[in-house]
Amino acid sequence: MEIKIKGLTKVFPGDIKKGRKDAIAVHDLDVDVKDGELIGLLGPSGCGKSTTLYMIAGLLEPTSGEIWFGDDEVTHLSPEKRGIGLVFQNYALYPHMTVYKNICFPLTNLRVEEPEKDFDAEGYALIVKLVKDYAKIIKVINASNLNGKINEAGAVNALCETYKISKYVAAKLYKFNFVGAADPKALSEEIAKEYQDKLNNEIAKQKNKGKTINDKFVLLTDGKPNVIRRKLTKDEMDALIREAARIVQISDFLDRKPSELSGGQQQRVAIARALVKKPKVLLLDEPLSNLDARLRIQTREEIRRIQQDTGITTIFVTHDQEEAMSICDDIVVMKLGEEQQIDKPQQVYKDPKNLFVAKFLGTPPINVFNGVIKNNAIYVGDNKIITSKKKLPDGEVYVGIRPEGFMVSKDEKAKEGEITLNVNEVLTMGRDLMLVCSNKEFIGEKIKIIIDSDVEAKVGATNLKLRENKVYVFYKKTEERIYF
Amino acid sequence: MESKNNWKAWLYLAPVLILMSIFTFYPLINTFFISFLKNFDYRSGANSGFTFDNYGIVLGITEKVAGIPESKVTEFVQYALPNTFLVTFITVPISIILSLLIAIGINNVKWFKKGLQTIFFMPYVTNIIAVGMVFSVIFGDNGIFNFIFGLSGTKWVTESASWQNSMTILCLYIIWSALPYKILIFSSGLQNIDKQYYDAAKIDGSNKWKTTMKITIPLLSPQILYIMITSFIGAFKEYNAVVGLFNRNYTDSGNVHDLTTVVYYIYQQLEGNNPQMHIAAAGAVILFAIIMVFTFVQMRVSKKRVHY
Repeated sequence: MEIKIKGLTKVFPGDIKKGRKDAIAVHDLDVDVKDGELIGLLGPSGCGKSTTLYMIAGLLEPTSGEIWFGDDEVTHLSPEKRGIGLVFQNYALYPHMTVYKNICFPLTNLRVEEPEKDFDAEGYALIVKLVKDYAKIIKVINASNLNGKINEAGAVNALCETYKISKYVAAKLYKFNFVGAADPKALSEEIAKEYQDKLNNEIAKQKNKGKTINDKFVLLTDGKPNVIRRKLTKDEMDALIREAARIVQISDFLDRKPSELSGGQQQRVAIARALVKKPKVLLLDEPLSNLDARLRIQTREEIRRIQQDTGITTIFVTHDQEEAMSICDDIVVMKLGEEQQIDKPQQVYKDPKNLFVAKFLGTPPINVFNGVIKNNAIYVGDNKIITSKKKLPDGEVYVGIRPEGFMVSKDEKAKEGEITLNVNEVLTMGRDLMLVCSNKEFIGEKIKIIIDSDVEAKVGATNLKLRENKVYVFYKKTEERIYF
Repeated sequence: MESKNNWKAWLYLAPVLILMSIFTFYPLINTFFISFLKNFDYRSGANSGFTFDNYGIVLGITEKVAGIPESKVTEFVQYALPNTFLVTFITVPISIILSLLIAIGINNVKWFKKGLQTIFFMPYVTNIIAVGMVFSVIFGDNGIFNFIFGLSGTKWVTESASWQNSMTILCLYIIWSALPYKILIFSSGLQNIDKQYYDAAKIDGSNKWKTTMKITIPLLSPQILYIMITSFIGAFKEYNAVVGLFNRNYTDSGNVHDLTTVVYYIYQQLEGNNPQMHIAAAGAVILFAIIMVFTFVQMRVSKKRVHY
């Protein structure tokens, strides 16, 4: 499902009496998300990214602008009609329901429009088919033992997983008691016959009503199926819940309450609940912010995997640039409700449109210096760092240099393309060295640069050669990029 | 560290503990004790030894006057218990459901929410006897109720009113005065439910009714249990509503004490020149036992349905 956002604006009205101004949370946002893409809304807190997400979800009404899902405008549609799944920042799992019931809840509200089916007949036929291979049933049940003992819950679960059947059918299979039977073969034949009779009776019953059953158990009247609107059956719900649980790997926790799960497990349950009704769009609101550092990396990869497996169009809100960079197809960088740049993650890093984007992405952050442009040359203090072939406007600028944009130079005196920094500390980080430096033109506290650990670095004034593609220049006034 | 500071905690608790020992624990234990004393005279403390007869008399098993089988009759079993059970099982469920609905209603309106909360809380700060008098005027023979519904002459609260009519108004009055506190508790409980659950339910396509039944009420279950237990206890102890509304415990038609409740019965034993303290004590202990059993059953039954 393609998502198009056109001129989306959200204004939270102020209060004149209290002297509070209108708060513009999102201003004139345009985003296109292609089908099956994972897009990240990235920005510091208060930049309107969550507001945008809630407007897409339908929980907030936009002040103006349009939201399109494919060819349908959904701007004023209520959330349940949009076909979305939403994962909340703190998951909002219903604390009084088990994991199973949490995932089930969206399904109980779902109505499907399908050709009328005879579920009884389908069930009978399934059992006839399954009991023929009674040896496998015995094997599965025996394998499900816990400390040498077979219990019903475990056996039913194992049968569900093996045959991809609902727990109701699985419970029936277990209760036939093949394991304890003296002659399982005879038992299986007996059951098969019983259920074949039931099936035949059902077919005959439908025939009396003037209906026939086709090979997919769809009821046909005069050879045509009747499309009806109905709730899901328990079997269908069970199958969907188990499928969703399998995707996020929580099949073992279905009977637990959310409070008995770890943060990462709760998060997966929240994703399962969002995915279970097979939404066209999945929305994630800072889904990793409640997890610890290691789990965060693991879970974000998990989210990427689930997204790719299901091919569902996903919008992901985060304030963590690393998170967004690592899993998103496209990143929308936002600031104070306005979109700053939409691009591929690497492109946003390599080619920032303005100072904000350059500063927001990258760890350690970009080093920003006061600079001047004179006669198409860019200076930081006395260092002439770049001479451009292009015509550049004279005046004061910001010069941003990425931490990896420096190389130690052996020159005694700084040449063109070099900068002189006072190295205060040399920190060994294993693969790299980090130099903490100072310079009077620098804006901020400490310059942090990263160089190869093979290079010898000493404390004191050092000349550093710059990689031109890691240097970005911005207008002082507008903070827009100057391309040189 | 912990044991060192312990004495401080006891010091802080001491004033309350001392007062409670004198005015709560001692009378409590003494009540048990007195309930087993024969012919107890509270002025002199004189008695004729231990007996179980007090309980027998209250429950109508033992002859009040030895040798006369007719004296086995007791108002406790005949009127007090049935009336109390009736009042409890009518007023408690109705008032809980009503207050729950009102609290959810108030929680859902945005405009005038504070005003509504104040209005619904008003009866709580109003004197119950005063309200009882207002009720007796409203439901008087020529009261506004009869006037509005064109039932002039129907007797509701006067002495000549039937037992049924009197009980109806009594229940109505108890429900009305029980609402505000419950609404207050439910309202504060509702405000503590994270709004995100409602957003999640909306995304999940749940309608308002289903959200209320499946999300709101289960999440409010600790408050509901608390209110259930306290209001059952309160209803079992009902007394001042009868005094406030009727200022008597009989109707003309019955010509007996047919409006007596358990606590009313207990107080009645203390009337007159020769207060039957030991009988009253036995009645109080029986009430205590009934309340304990009910509370225990409620805790048991609710264990699975309450989600903390």
